Order: sequence, then structure tokens, then C-alpha cells
Amino acid sequence: MRLNLVIELRDAPGQLVSVLEPLGSTGVNIVTVIHERDREYGPVVPVQLTVEGDRETLDAAIGRLQEQGVNIIEMDGAPLREKFTTILIGDIAEGDLQETVEAVNSVQGASVLDLSLRMSEGRSAARITFEAEHGSRDEVLRRINEAAMERNLLLVSEV
Amino acid sequence: MRVMRICLVGLGAVGQGFLRAVQMKGEYLRERYGLDIRFTGVADSSGALHDPDGLDIRGVLEHKKRAGLGSHPSGYEGMTGDELLDEAEYDCLVEATPTNIEDGEPGRSLVLKAMGDGKHVVTSNKGHLALFYSELMEAASEAGVEFMFEASVGGAMPIINLARETLASCTIESVIGILNGTTNFILSRMASEGSSYRQALIEAQELGIAETNPAQDVEGTDAACKAVIIANSILGRPCTLRDVRVEGITGITQGAIELAAQEGYLIKLIAEISGDRLEVGPRLVRMGSPYAVDGTLNMATLRTDLAGEVTAVGRGAGSLETASAMLTDTITIWRKSGGR
Repeated sequence: MRLNLVIELRDAPGQLVSVLEPLGSTGVNIVTVIHERDREYGPVVPVQLTVEGDRETLDAAIGRLQEQGVNIIEMDGAPLREKFTTILIGDIAEGDLQETVEAVNSVQGASVLDLSLRMSEGRSAARITFEAEHGSRDEVLRRINEAAMERNLLLVSEV
Repeated sequence: MRVMRICLVGLGAVGQGFLRAVQMKGEYLRERYGLDIRFTGVADSSGALHDPDGLDIRGVLEHKKRAGLGSHPSGYEGMTGDELLDEAEYDCLVEATPTNIEDGEPGRSLVLKAMGDGKHVVTSNKGHLALFYSELMEAASEAGVEFMFEASVGGAMPIINLARETLASCTIESVIGILNGTTNFILSRMASEGSSYRQALIEAQELGIAETNPAQDVEGTDAACKAVIIANSILGRPCTLRDVRVEGITGITQGAIELAAQEGYLIKLIAEISGDRLEVGPRLVRMGSPYAVDGTLNMATLRTDLAGEVTAVGRGAGSLETASAMLTDTITIWRKSGGR
């Protein structure tokens, strides 16, 4: 069986080797590695990997990557991490945002990527963009919704 | 050629639109379907007219421009729709009375009475469907008559018949869409002109898009009624208006719309109907996506098991547009009952 992965690596010397060596030790055959460092990606670089092996070996390989804290963005074309934007509207105090950010960060594998605030008297608006592992988006939204309801804020989430 | 006798109750914008549509398409209906529509009874809130040989549509429309039907030379002042159904000879009731979300009246009683008398029914009314869907469908089934309501959801946007007929092979897993043109106009103006919610609402009222009392639209109730009709008729999920989680657009600010736009989003009032969700509320949609329809347009994306996603877009209001859906339903009834 073949598995196509896209992982994220920090743009620093030795990162690729530090991932490929333990991956190879699980018994998978590494078929291709595409690593485009010459493009502008920012602090992390996406790396496409194709690995081959039986189901158990592939599972072990994925487990090893996760143990190492490697961020798997895509598996066989399906995104594993997704970005999601929400907007909160209402009488927003600084503490409200801090607690909402904490609510997102408390979900495993989820983090706030961006936060913008538009203050105006009475009804301000805040945009929160977060990233979450595939499958944990609903949990993040549930917590943001709880936080919004406690503070009487209107939550506008993506369709 | 066969005659279909119609009793039309409710002569507001939609009812008058239906009369005009039949007038405009009379020749087409005769040639294409062998269908000769004859109005044998018409009622508004002031009275009614009936004639087993058929009424003069042009005369009715001209009189209606000036006054209620009760004052028509052949009119019966004060005759209610209910009384008209006892007097008129007809095959199909076209019901276009105003939506009432308190008790569904007078639409509910009219529809039940017509069905009880073995007559087919076409309606544009949402109230009775959103409150008593199961009861009305059972009554139609017991009476063995057709009951059609495409115009009650999204005016000219074909969604009920699209799901039931065109996508008959598919299980519909969810329907997500914009089901209210007034709120879509307001949110579109806020996004394109930088208007405040208040300014956009006043503009919509001046253009006749929003009513003087816009509560049912801006608070999401109108979209919620349509969500209930879709849930029952397309997803087979029994529910009423009380089961919908509703949030309107009155809390949407210009600041929120600007923050959304910076990241490539628009804010739209979206209805989401699926196995576990029945809600109406403001949501972020991607610019350039099928949800990014402008102005008073309605849209709905049906997620199906076999055909993937299918999206319909159309005019959600307008008297002739809504009447087109009612006339299509009338033709369907005609064909099902043996017309060609």
C-alpha cells in the first residue's frame, strides 16, 4: 500500500533527516520526498512524502511522526489540519477574547492563528482564525460557542 | 382540451401575480399541455366573486387595482374564502393568503376544507406548513388529492420539486442555503456600500423589498418557516417552527462585515437543515462560492449521496416569479391527473 502525506517541517538544518530516519526505522519504504525550500513559505515548509508498506507498518509510521510532534497537514489528499474563521459581535471586553483564545487552545491540536478586533461603542467585532486537527473543528466551535453564549456575544461561524 | 377550474383565495401581490401569469400564458398552456385554466372563484379580504363558467380575469385585475373584490359589480361583499369554497365549483384551490405563524389561519382551514372536499391544493403560504406540516400531508393523503407548495420556499427558486422529482434517485443529506431575499439584500448592501444595518434596512423598505414591519425577515422567522418545510418535505424530518434554532441579522455590524471581508468572507443569513441540525443564523461564506449570491436572490445547496452537491439559485420573491412556481405546481397536478 502507498500513502501520500504532506507534513510541515521547520525551515532549519537537519529537520528532514530527523524525520526520515525514524520513519524508515518503522519498516516503511520511502518512495518520494518533495521538499521545496526555494519557495517562500515562512517559518515552516510543506514536505510531500510517499511511503509504502502494509497497513500495520503505515500505521506505525504515522504514529512515529505524531510522537515526534510532526504536523501532518494532508493524508492521501485529505486535509488533516484545517483553518477556520469565526467572528464574535457584541460588547467585547479584553478578558472575553483572552478566555475565548484559551478555550480554543485548550482543545488538543487546536490553536489560534490570528485575532483582529474592531472596537466600536456598544457592539464591537472580533475575528478569530484558528487551526485544528481534522475532526476536532466541531469541538473547538462548541467551546467558542459556549464562551460566546456566556458573554452574550453573537457567534458567526463559517458555513 | 380539458378545463381546470381554479378557486383562488388571497389576492395580494402573489395572488394577483398568479392571475397575471395565467393571463400571459393562457395560449401556451393550451398549446403545450392542452390545459385551459378557468377561474371559477376568487376571494380577497373584502369579498368574493364566483361563476361556474369562469370569471373575466382582466376585469378582476382592473377592479382590484382600485378596490377590494367586495365592491365589484358581481361581487359578494364580505364573503370569506371559506364561504367561497362552499359556493364555487372548482377542481383546485390556489391558496395565497398571508403567512400567519401564530395559528396558520386562514390558510390551514381553507386547505383542509378543500382537501376534505376532494380538491387539489397549490399554496404559496408558509405559516400552516411550518406549524402543521404532518396534519396537512395526512389530510391530502387521506383525501387522495395533490398538495403542492413549491412557491412557499424561495419563490421561483426550484428546490422542493428539484429534490423530489429531478433528484428522486438520491437521498438528500442536507440542504444549506439563503432562503430570505430581504436579509440577503440588506447584508449585500452593507458589504458593497459600507452602509450600516439601519441604513440598509431603510433602503430596502424604500425599494419595497422589506416590509414596514420587517421583523419576520430580519429576525430569521421567515427563513425558519422555509427550513421547516424543507426539513419535512425533502429530508423527511418531522418538525415545526418551534424546533428551529433561530438568530436573525439585527446584531450584524458594519465592523463585523469589514473584518469578514478582509479574509475573503461575506456574512449571509444561512439556513442549515440536516439530520441533526435545523438552524437559521448569520454565517461566514467564501466570496466567489455558491453562497455568495447578491441582492434579493435565494440559493440552496443540496448535498446528495449519489449526485454530490447540487445548487439552485433563483429569485426568492416577486409576484410573477412566485406565481411561476404556483403555475408549475398547477401544471404538475394537471399532468398527474391525466392531462398531457
